[in-house]
Amino acid sequence: MRRRLISVVAAAAGSVLLGGCISDGGGPPESANTSRGAIEVWLSTNPEEVAWGEEVVASWNSKHPSEKVTAQQIPAGKTSEEVIYASIVAGNAPCVVMNTAPSAVPQFQKAGGLVPLDNFPDGNSYVEGRTGTAVADQYKSPDGRFYQIPWKVNPVMIFYNKKLFAQAGLDPVNPPLKTWAEFLQTSRTLVQKKVAHAAIWPAPSSEFFQSWFDFYPLFGARTQQQLVEDGKATFDTPDGVAVGQFWRTMYAEKLAPQEKYNGDSFKDGEAAMAIVGPWAISVYKDAIEWGAVPIPTEDGKPANQVYTFSDEKSLAIYFACEHRLTAWDFVKFATAQDSDGRLLELTGQMPMRENLPGVYAGYFAKNPAYTQFADQAGRIVEVPNVPNSTEIWQTFRNAWTAAVVFDNEPIDKEFADAAARANELLAKG
Amino acid sequence: MSKPTTIPPKAKPTEQQKLTVEPAPRNRLRVLILSIGAIMFIFPFYYMVIGSLQKEADKSFSGVFPHPDNMTVTNYQEINEAIDAPRSLLNSTVFTIGVLLCTVLFGILAGYALAVMHFRGRTTVLSAVLLVLVVPFQLLQIPLYVLIVRAYGLGDTYLGMIIPFAINSTAVFIFRQFFLQLPRELFEAAHIDGASELKTMLRVAIPLARPAILNAVLLTFIGPWNEFLWPFLVTKQQDMQPFAVALANYMNNVAGRATNPDGANMAGGVLLAIPPVVLFLIFQKRFTSTNIGSGVKG
Amino acid sequence: MATVRSAETERTTERDRESAVQPVEKERWLGAQPIGLLFITPYVLFLAAIFVYPLIVQFFISFKDYFFAAPGATVDRPWVGFQNYVDVIQDPTFQRSLFNVFEFMIINVPATVFLSLVLAYALNSKMRGLSFFRGAYYAPYVTASVAIVTVWLFMFGETGLVNTVLGSLAPDPSWLINRYWAMPMIAVFVTWKQLGFFILLYLAALQNVPKERYEAADVDGASTVQKFWSVTVPGVRPATTLVIILATITGMNLFTEPYLLTNGGGPNGASVTPVFYMYQKGVEQGQAGYAAAIGMILLVITLGIALVQRRVLERD
Repeated sequence: MRRRLISVVAAAAGSVLLGGCISDGGGPPESANTSRGAIEVWLSTNPEEVAWGEEVVASWNSKHPSEKVTAQQIPAGKTSEEVIYASIVAGNAPCVVMNTAPSAVPQFQKAGGLVPLDNFPDGNSYVEGRTGTAVADQYKSPDGRFYQIPWKVNPVMIFYNKKLFAQAGLDPVNPPLKTWAEFLQTSRTLVQKKVAHAAIWPAPSSEFFQSWFDFYPLFGARTQQQLVEDGKATFDTPDGVAVGQFWRTMYAEKLAPQEKYNGDSFKDGEAAMAIVGPWAISVYKDAIEWGAVPIPTEDGKPANQVYTFSDEKSLAIYFACEHRLTAWDFVKFATAQDSDGRLLELTGQMPMRENLPGVYAGYFAKNPAYTQFADQAGRIVEVPNVPNSTEIWQTFRNAWTAAVVFDNEPIDKEFADAAARANELLAKG
Repeated sequence: MSKPTTIPPKAKPTEQQKLTVEPAPRNRLRVLILSIGAIMFIFPFYYMVIGSLQKEADKSFSGVFPHPDNMTVTNYQEINEAIDAPRSLLNSTVFTIGVLLCTVLFGILAGYALAVMHFRGRTTVLSAVLLVLVVPFQLLQIPLYVLIVRAYGLGDTYLGMIIPFAINSTAVFIFRQFFLQLPRELFEAAHIDGASELKTMLRVAIPLARPAILNAVLLTFIGPWNEFLWPFLVTKQQDMQPFAVALANYMNNVAGRATNPDGANMAGGVLLAIPPVVLFLIFQKRFTSTNIGSGVKG
Repeated sequence: MATVRSAETERTTERDRESAVQPVEKERWLGAQPIGLLFITPYVLFLAAIFVYPLIVQFFISFKDYFFAAPGATVDRPWVGFQNYVDVIQDPTFQRSLFNVFEFMIINVPATVFLSLVLAYALNSKMRGLSFFRGAYYAPYVTASVAIVTVWLFMFGETGLVNTVLGSLAPDPSWLINRYWAMPMIAVFVTWKQLGFFILLYLAALQNVPKERYEAADVDGASTVQKFWSVTVPGVRPATTLVIILATITGMNLFTEPYLLTNGGGPNGASVTPVFYMYQKGVEQGQAGYAAAIGMILLVITLGIALVQRRVLERD
């Protein structure tokens, strides 16, 4: 027995030596902030964005042969954030990730994975100049610094299938979707007339980010508040509960199914409506005759007062980058007026630039259907930039699926418990 | 120096010799029960193949049967366009063969040593083998990831993919049980003839071990071929990803845009399943030898 | 010869067997055949690097408020002692996850033992189409869950084949989103999928049940069923032990299938498993210390169950 103990201890010691002895080094030196050289950039797997990205990279490379950019698509999983986090931990993150989710920024920042923009002399001023101080403010971290560059926004609106609406006897040009009552009634008509399996089909599953496409747009439209304000959860208020009740009605009357659809239900005609942003237009344009309206509010606010969820993606410069000046210059290049214009043209997503309809008047003249998105892009609610944000969203989502999707628990109690837990997490920091 | 004394021609009777032939009525009942079971078992498979060939997803009962006007190979074509199939299949092959080589080479050594030899620390290693089976990979994943990618710098390499799976402990188990089963006289005879341990193993034990090697290969093959999580973590570059990962990426991200997303997913599933199933069918006759059975004795 | 085992030798432990036949060798410090150390070295190195090291790291992490960070970043990682363990044990999601895997095992383990033995018994005879039958039962085991899950979602989804056939008898909410049916469905899926492997184990064990015993039973006039219970079942007892232990370990460590079939937690956490929760906490939410504590507790529970099973089942 004693012999075995000795050999176990010896084995353990040996393996710790084997594994831990190998030094994993530190990060890049301070000089990286002013260094130039070849850099690596990650793009999302959205085909239109890839096309845009490759164009921008090619253009940069032709102008800066000594600071070549290599672009790579982010290998995706259920969430690409895991991959980015893993690469931060491994120390092999690229210089720039185009498509950094703002909800992940607190975690990446805590891990020391992001470069604050005030490392560069024009860091803050560039961001605020391009996006406007008001909107850009939602993207600052609690310490007041920018760790991300707000890049593009996909203001979420209600898409509807004109053909299915007409079949159901609803007006396809001005559909009754402004107030909650109208929305519910329209949904009932759609389902009763059997034009589609569901009126609308947001994913009812329990991943933490699904709330951004059912609860959050309606909550933002109603209150203009983030999930967390001033260090406290906001969803256990009567407003939050009201939004929960609205969706509960949808699920109870089977206007929205309780099971996730494998694919895009709107595109397949299984749902007559969808809550999504303009990136989806390129997916729908051949299959569906679509129209879009703002998110419904209980009392029917006018369109120019309705806020929504941003579905925004940022650019960020990552800590492992050894040629950060090149990275910063590349970021500025990729968000310059020309590049933003190309982004708009190729993907239909809204660059976060002030006064979009004015700057790209020519584009919007040719594509009037996008104008409403450009207009909506000025009224967005972002996910809160707070510590433990993923866990807070997960806590909320668990309450949501239990109470709203499945009616296993009363809504107000579930939301209250979740808010208490969220406040604990916020206090922990 | 004479060669070791003659090895008994076949250490155990083949399975065919041990099969009983039962009287006709019992046999028919047996066949009936098995058929019902087999149909239930293979039905999802069959449905997967049918679904992968459908133009439009047909979830009704009649969709179970192939309809000539709803059949197409576009699902496969779409996958081919989205994924670099040859490259990812190559990656899968390299990954799998790497694991198989390491497992067979080092596993035999380890199994032989654990079965036949006495040396200090042997029981510790034996307990470790059993402990290994209990630990879930997800527990080891992140420190392992940090170790392999950060400390060793093996991200985006075949070696980085292979290392955590390099030696399959179940295979070590199989080899050990197999060697335990070999009659002692074999080794004694070799020793009497003056052969060293190494020679004994090489000349005597290993030639006999072919059934065990086959078993180990078939069992070990499935792991890396189907493995999704680890290569997914370790590879960032798309051209290094094995087929299982490419397929999962496709299902998660691109499939939603295909004309028949369910069909496309199932086409991917069929593609991934073909090599292991084919391999299994080819070798399954030889698969049920007593090598694994001897493992259950101890 | 060595291949036909009688009832007595079945029961001896391997140590007895080996010491009985191994000639007495010199007691050297490194053992009788030190070259064995050389043979075993690659495997030991592998185990040390791949298993022991990460396990030890996780062990230490579990006592801290740990967070994986970039190399070179300064992150505060305070020591919290047993706080993580206390929190995990009191965590209702973790408790639910343990309940879920136990629910899983209650269905999966007996079904696996029974079905795989019966099927192995049936597949153990000469008949036409044996290859086809064997292939049919092995096929699910050999394919990746990722691939086969789509089919199951297709079949058991709300508008899937099964519900279409069942019509109004279909449960509402449908199978995989039903908090009572979600875990049993996963159990059915995993049982179906893994059965091939266990059939194999039993098939091999059946080869070692001596024909004489069946013949003796025939002489006594036993029916097929009686022969099954009195000859086969006791004859493969060691295999049964292995099957039970392996199926239990698989059940305790369940991750992929709930992840794929129910998008993670299922309705109201009805299909959360400990390993999935560990993944969610560690990878998605970045709380490595908490996740490590989950892992350690799970490990202890699984080992405990496996050891108890071994002791109970191997007793005569």
